[in-house]
Amino acid sequence: MDDYIFRDATLDDIPFVADVIINAEKSSSDKLGFSLLFNLPEDKVKELIMAMLAEEVDGCEFSLSSFLIVEYKGFPVASSGGWIEGFHDSTPSKILKSNLLSFTFPPESLQYLKEKSYLLQDMYLERENLALQMEYAYVSREHRGNNLAAAIVTKFIERALIEYPGLKKVQVQCYKNNVPSIRLLSTLGFTEEKSVKSDAPEVLDYLPFNVKILMEKIIQ
Amino acid sequence: MEKTEIIEKLGRILSTVLKHDKFEINEALSATDVDGWDSLTHMLIITEVEKEFNIKFKLKELNKLQNVGSLVELVHLKLQN
Repeated sequence: MDDYIFRDATLDDIPFVADVIINAEKSSSDKLGFSLLFNLPEDKVKELIMAMLAEEVDGCEFSLSSFLIVEYKGFPVASSGGWIEGFHDSTPSKILKSNLLSFTFPPESLQYLKEKSYLLQDMYLERENLALQMEYAYVSREHRGNNLAAAIVTKFIERALIEYPGLKKVQVQCYKNNVPSIRLLSTLGFTEEKSVKSDAPEVLDYLPFNVKILMEKIIQ
Repeated sequence: MEKTEIIEKLGRILSTVLKHDKFEINEALSATDVDGWDSLTHMLIITEVEKEFNIKFKLKELNKLQNVGSLVELVHLKLQN
């Protein structure tokens, strides 16, 4: 573990963080919702995610400032996003995220999403205000098995408690098919608190899975 | 366009996107007050508002919005310019 350096993401990390988001969004599948629901090729999606990160809007899952990078011999090898919901800005992260998407994605893609919106209507989980939210954890293949994901979660909680000593809860949303993440979170003391499911027959053509869960850990 | 007309049109957009009218449209209304106003529907609301009024918001403008009142003000301002 001593060979790994944990640091905040910088503008130079934007391409890596975009890859992290894409890989994490696929959640053990080959389905990238941002590509399939917006009718865009994956390389275009990466370009748009990079554009959103470059806007440097704080407090949501597309905030560069939310990402912690794990570096090995000068190269980023793992990352995750995390922010305290509503802590710096009273605007909910769902609104900040949507503003970024509606500002960045082309109108024809937003129109396509509108037609497919019924696929997502039962898949929404609310984020609790003032809880630490973690999103998009990813460890590159050759560095798996080194407990990096667990170390990232621990590091996020330590940092969040310094920023906000009153922090009581950590929340992670993930697809139910993401067994490795669920197993890891369970070993770290997270429990499944809520789940949502889409019964739309074609949802698996667009999303990695049709069940999304909210895992929580009470830290004090 | 008068602000009352803008707020009426916003009310219609909200009802259409959210697929219900279980809210009272007024300047204090915000996303946290209305069932179904989530990340997806917010995106669709913004897109429909831009289309209805033939305007385009800047990201900074969107992120400053606090409630329907600030959205009405912004639309009104953009229609005047």
